[in-house]
Amino acid sequence: MIKVRDISKTYGQNTVLKIGSLDIPKGQSFGLVGNNGAGKTTLFSLLLDLIQPTTGYISSKGIKVHESEDWKPFTSSFIDESFLIGYLTPEEYFYFIGDLRGQNKADVDALLAQFEDFFHGEVLNQKKYLRDLSKGNQKKAGIVASFIGNPEIIILDEPFANLDPTTQIRLKGIIKKLSEDNQVTVLVSSHDLMHVTEVSDRIVVLNKGEVVKDIETSEATLKELETFFAGSDITTFEEE
Amino acid sequence: MIKKFISLQWKEFIRSSSFQKGVAIKVLLFIAAAYIGGMAIFAGMGLFFGIQKLIPGIDPMHVVNSFIIFWFFADLMLRYFMQQMPVMNIKPLMIIPIKQKTIIHFLLGKTVLSFFNLLPLLVFIPYCVTLLTQGYPPLNVIFWLLSIVVITLALNFLNILVNKSNTVFYIVATALVTSASMQYFGVYNVSIPSGIVFGELYANPYYIAIPIVILAILYYLNFKYLNSRFYLDSAISKKVKEVNTSDLSWLNRFGSLATFLKNDVRMIWRNKRPRQVLFMSGLFLFYGVLFFTQKTYEDMPGFLAFASIFITAGFLFSFGQLVPSWDSEHYKMMMSQNIPYRKYLESKWYLMVIAVVISFVLSTPYIYFGWDKYAMIAAGASFNIGINSFVTLFGGALNRVPIKLNEKAKAFSNTQGFNPTQLLIALPKLLLPVLLFYVPYYFTDYNLNAGIITLALSGVVGLVFRNYFLTQIEKVYQKGKYKTVAAFDEK
Repeated sequence: MIKVRDISKTYGQNTVLKIGSLDIPKGQSFGLVGNNGAGKTTLFSLLLDLIQPTTGYISSKGIKVHESEDWKPFTSSFIDESFLIGYLTPEEYFYFIGDLRGQNKADVDALLAQFEDFFHGEVLNQKKYLRDLSKGNQKKAGIVASFIGNPEIIILDEPFANLDPTTQIRLKGIIKKLSEDNQVTVLVSSHDLMHVTEVSDRIVVLNKGEVVKDIETSEATLKELETFFAGSDITTFEEE
Repeated sequence: MIKKFISLQWKEFIRSSSFQKGVAIKVLLFIAAAYIGGMAIFAGMGLFFGIQKLIPGIDPMHVVNSFIIFWFFADLMLRYFMQQMPVMNIKPLMIIPIKQKTIIHFLLGKTVLSFFNLLPLLVFIPYCVTLLTQGYPPLNVIFWLLSIVVITLALNFLNILVNKSNTVFYIVATALVTSASMQYFGVYNVSIPSGIVFGELYANPYYIAIPIVILAILYYLNFKYLNSRFYLDSAISKKVKEVNTSDLSWLNRFGSLATFLKNDVRMIWRNKRPRQVLFMSGLFLFYGVLFFTQKTYEDMPGFLAFASIFITAGFLFSFGQLVPSWDSEHYKMMMSQNIPYRKYLESKWYLMVIAVVISFVLSTPYIYFGWDKYAMIAAGASFNIGINSFVTLFGGALNRVPIKLNEKAKAFSNTQGFNPTQLLIALPKLLLPVLLFYVPYYFTDYNLNAGIITLALSGVVGLVFRNYFLTQIEKVYQKGKYKTVAAFDEK
């Protein structure tokens, strides 16, 4: 589904991402973890063709993302609040995204109905613009909007941050269901090792722009990650 | 304490992104400010002699006093649109041991240093100096000037107090329009009471106490208002109004573009900055009045062609030059969603074309100045649709300044979307139509129709090449995509 080949991103002297080869098969739920500055958002931005790779390419379903726009119809994402249109109400925003993805009002309404629990009555029918919602509720709207129009690839950057515990648990359920039911490839990054191990089939650890671990999730994964991050923290301190 | 605040403000000012622009822009801005300041000083000096020449036999001071009320009305209106409310980052100060009163005094004091409070000084100080050289009693003149300053400050605080109240704005606007039209049609002479009131202020220097008392009351009210609301959940937090959503399904006739058009209509309607642009572009409609009424331009059709372009181009210019910037707040989404670039551009293009058509319809009253003028406006509209719309979109591709949609542009710090490349692009928008008009006009032995027809045809030709132009513009946008995304990302 997604092929990363020799990709690197350099700002001046500073290489922030360097991945030789990474393949994500269709339907996999893929977790990305790493400390601040590890390159998680850079990788996602490259996937969405929001920044230009210094070398290499990423192809999605055989389409090189920086050469054609054809990956857009089957890819959806929520990276940060700049993916929301602040002056729209959540409903208007969902219908707007629906319009872009060939879904009519009824389709969107049907989809939204499934997420009533997730919204917890704080997103729909609030008579508020998205810009006036709290950070957590904005996030809920953005995440659900990325499910509109049956995308084959969903990219969520830090979806668990800013959410309350109840919503975090519900979101985990939603992501798990997505990867079970359909043939949807879900890419999730997180700082929360527990959440990410719970929802992912596979976890890749980035450190200073490079892949340092690539694990099929199992019982032992969480322990392994915790050991890694506890250790790598110490070494980072020593280096500096 | 105040010293610390001032140093904080100073840092905020010099470290703000609008200040950290290239030298060229700073120079240009300085020139613009100097120009406007110079004009005001010149106007102040010219005021006295101008009135003396226009209305001989009456004391110019009396005339000024009679009409100064309109100045104050206009001042209030302008403030409503342009003046930014004092925002200081109070949140971090709230938990620090500083007297709340000190913060509020500083906040209010800061508003005094506004361009709008400076403008009357620029006009009236030279005026008063002229008065003094003409032998008017110094004591009266000085105290009159002080009164004007005090009233201006009072307006400043009044504006803060009523800020964001549309009701008050409509009341002031209605008062201005009715009083001006009553004055014009001779129903009621607003200038008479104004003349009496301000005449008295001038005649009796100690009457200055009255405006001072008013100023003090307004200041106190402001102070009280802020003091009682100095909590995170009241004055400092933004008010969230319940929103009315409108359907806008009438836009569905534009097919697949409807999605974008609806969005843009909402964007313009629901955000302060684009609303301001919309209002400003309405003012362009009156451009013709300036030119068509002047005898001087009667024999200079080149200038009239220039004016005709402007009449229908208000929205096109002011909205169009900031095209990708309008979506800067959610540009990443726009770029990764299922949106072909072409459609995005096309919808903006349609929006501008619709605006030109609406402006053209609204310009119908210009028939009053003669059909030839109207034909010129029509030709100008054609040029705007066929050529200028594309040039403006092209210029937008070079503009990578993020804008905050829901914040008004500050007067004179509005350097957003203002760069040398854009100035270069602006030149053909204005000069080309004048050339297209003037050259055929000149070579056909001053035949007005030749100029008008050429100008109109140029627009049609542009429309024929629409797809070609849009494809080229799309390429430019695509090429600059990463740069634009990155630029919009830094706040």
